Amino acid sequence: MSRRKILFVSAVALLALAVGASPAHAIELAPPEPHSPNAEGIRSAYWVAMVTAVILVFAIHAALIAAVVRYRERRGREPRRVAAGRGALRPVVGALSALALVLFVYGVFQTAEVREVEAAGPDGLGSTQSAQVGVRGSIAAAAGGLDSATGETPLDDSEATQTSPLLIDAIAQQWVWRFEYPGGRPGQRTFTYGELVVPVDTPVILDVTSTDVLHTWWVPALGGQVQAAPGDVSQTWFKADEVGRYEGRSTIFSGTGTPVMRSWVKVVSVPEYQDYIEQLNLDLEEAQGAVAENQEEQQTSGAAAAAEGGS
Amino acid sequence: MSRENLIARPEVVSRQGVPAPRPAWIERTTSGDHKQVSLLYIGTALSFLALAAVEFMLIRLQLIVPENTMINPEIFDQLVSVAPVSLVVLGLIPLALGLIGFIVPLQIGSRGVALPRLNQFSYWLYLAGAVTLYASFLYQAPDTGTTALPPLSDTVFSPTNGADAWIVGTALAISGFVCFAINLVATLTRMRAPGVAWRRLPLFSWAATVIGYLLLVLGPVMIAALVMLEIDRRFDGVFFDPGDGGAPLLYEHFSNLFFTGTYLIVLLAAAGAISEILPTFARKPIFSHRAVAGSFVAIGLIGPLAWMQSMYEAPLAEGLTIIAMGFALALAVPIGVLVFTWIATIWEGALELRAPSLYALVAISTMVFGLAGELAYSVIPVGWALDNTTASQADTLYVLVGAGVIGGFAALHYWFPKLCGRLLGEGIGKAALGLMLVGIHLYAIPMIFAGLDGQAVNVFEYFDDSGLDGYNLVASFGAFILALGILLELGNTAYSWNNGLSARGHDPWGGSTLEWYALSPPPPHNFDAVPDVRSSEPLRDIREAVVRNAEAFVAPTGLERIEAPAADPEPVAASDAGDRAPGSDPDDPGNAPVA
Repeated sequence: MSRRKILFVSAVALLALAVGASPAHAIELAPPEPHSPNAEGIRSAYWVAMVTAVILVFAIHAALIAAVVRYRERRGREPRRVAAGRGALRPVVGALSALALVLFVYGVFQTAEVREVEAAGPDGLGSTQSAQVGVRGSIAAAAGGLDSATGETPLDDSEATQTSPLLIDAIAQQWVWRFEYPGGRPGQRTFTYGELVVPVDTPVILDVTSTDVLHTWWVPALGGQVQAAPGDVSQTWFKADEVGRYEGRSTIFSGTGTPVMRSWVKVVSVPEYQDYIEQLNLDLEEAQGAVAENQEEQQTSGAAAAAEGGS
Repeated sequence: MSRENLIARPEVVSRQGVPAPRPAWIERTTSGDHKQVSLLYIGTALSFLALAAVEFMLIRLQLIVPENTMINPEIFDQLVSVAPVSLVVLGLIPLALGLIGFIVPLQIGSRGVALPRLNQFSYWLYLAGAVTLYASFLYQAPDTGTTALPPLSDTVFSPTNGADAWIVGTALAISGFVCFAINLVATLTRMRAPGVAWRRLPLFSWAATVIGYLLLVLGPVMIAALVMLEIDRRFDGVFFDPGDGGAPLLYEHFSNLFFTGTYLIVLLAAAGAISEILPTFARKPIFSHRAVAGSFVAIGLIGPLAWMQSMYEAPLAEGLTIIAMGFALALAVPIGVLVFTWIATIWEGALELRAPSLYALVAISTMVFGLAGELAYSVIPVGWALDNTTASQADTLYVLVGAGVIGGFAALHYWFPKLCGRLLGEGIGKAALGLMLVGIHLYAIPMIFAGLDGQAVNVFEYFDDSGLDGYNLVASFGAFILALGILLELGNTAYSWNNGLSARGHDPWGGSTLEWYALSPPPPHNFDAVPDVRSSEPLRDIREAVVRNAEAFVAPTGLERIEAPAADPEPVAASDAGDRAPGSDPDDPGNAPVA
């Protein structure tokens, strides 16, 4: 008996160690604190599913341990040769089917809710319509923006900077993200690498794709994973409720650089965002001017060199 | 030809110049006997299980502290590319197939298999695949990730031959399994002894049937996908090349379909073995033979259709993910029925806690953790958060270790006496089981938390500021303990093969299925004669008949010269006598004295 007690105590101690060795902030046993309605939806789905799973695990273990303790071999115990008659398992099948069905219906509704793009909040940029993401489009279909897929009217580019939802392209490559913002000069979109800057309280729809191998877009505080596949465009959205910087990472194996395939979402106030984009545009123009000058210089000097060489 | 020649008469054959016996290893490697082939399967599979355990230990060693530089990224990527395939394709599947190949023909009362040469060929294909994969370490090991997803596995991103070795090696091994499945299905459908109807088929053989059909259907899908990938790589194909109108997503579908199938095969094999072990040790028939067999079939039918359950984040049409969620959740019904039946089988029984039954109980417990988690991840929004994280990996490993490793060892403990006539060491076995039990939880629980916090699988490092160091430290120690337990048990197996205690008789556990009727180890032809099978527990029937006849026997009086037989040999006489070694287990009906 004491041996069993020792075993039990050590098992509990090991479990406690497994839980306790983790950093204090994470003891919560759930995805990180959500900062977007879709992340909240994922978190509540997680709680429902995980509590169901934990209850199942405990119930099954309770029954199993009770059966083993009570009906293990002892002196004088004779087994009763009972077996199920026809239909004896029907209640079990019924209960399990009901459980699966409830989870399924819940999953369907929760999925739709998580996909539903909310309208901008009071502090957000613009405020127009809501939409639904998650509809898949090929590159060709997405050439005209997400709208061909969702059936909405395409937004004018100039208007797009001022209204929500913000449509941003997230383009993955080994091993950095490129974000293309709406607006900017025609044919020359504003972009950043690594860090996405978005206004607070504004729905942002991301068109996620890749130029080389598979990656995933995932910022745990701002929603679920989306695969970035070359040739396909997947969509996700988020609406950050708080100014801050959120870290994300790619979860799919993409070669030796997989761990550095991280991304950051910097959430700023609306005026800050507008200033930032403006500054980006100015920088871009400046840089392009410098590049053009440089090229001209090179061309002239190259021509001169060629002329010299030729003479 | 005269009429007399047509009359059958016993034939006496004399062979002039019987060939001299060849060396044992040649006999063993060229024999078409299903038992010899299966022993090769089991031995090779256990070797690769040891290798996979070591590889996973190295992976965990690298992840023990953040930003570790112990193993460089190139080698780490090679490890994550070969370790999972070593565990599942080269380890757990062939272990299950080896046990099936050995036991199933015995369970169905067959003297052999339908296609012995194909059976043997299947082993050599598997071995060739394994050698192809591991020979690549001599020049350039594969580094394309767990399932070699294109475009990463295309020549643009993986120009070395390592990826080819992975593709060809895996395809060869799977071709072997398909050959094995052809023979298995043919044997099960055509070679059952009279009376072994489907409704009486032992449950391990039922699991084997479903496994056979799963391999027949899903194996070729993966072989085709790998061939297409190889065409893409070396012959300018564009199947999976998005630049030329191909779809990388297609390969993801194929590989997910197959690897979902392998997961189910491992699960089914363990479930089949557990469904044999528990009734034997609880001395009580399975609670419902029909329900268990029906659950196996349902798992085989529904399970593969849930292949998109781990692809919720992929660019799929919404309806597809919903359908996948439906099938994945529906799996809860047959699996739940199985677990319920197992518990109900123990209930009101007298469960003897020996190594096989302890392993079976721990296997159920460990599997339940993983399967409940799988149920949770099947709800789409949860999958969005946890796919590809260490949480889902820990969950998969719960099932693979619970069913494949612990369930596999349960089956090995149970049938080891049949394999070689010896017992698999129980003391060390129980110690190893304790290590595995502690190790798997110590590994998996922190990894689930780390996955919730966003740790991805297959990355060679995580960063100092991510707050993941505590989890990883504990998980690494858990993984070491787990691997230690596995290696200890493997050592135990190797030791017991030649040095284990001799099993008591041919039926040391008092099993009720036909394999316990054969000698341990069985002769090449398995049975001299097969008893009449009139229920799903033929050996129990024989035992009862022996007891009944012994009770009914009234010793005649006044005839002192005639010795009373201890038992009427009637139910046995039709079959047996000659193939029994004298002086073994007196409980064994086969040893009833022959009048």
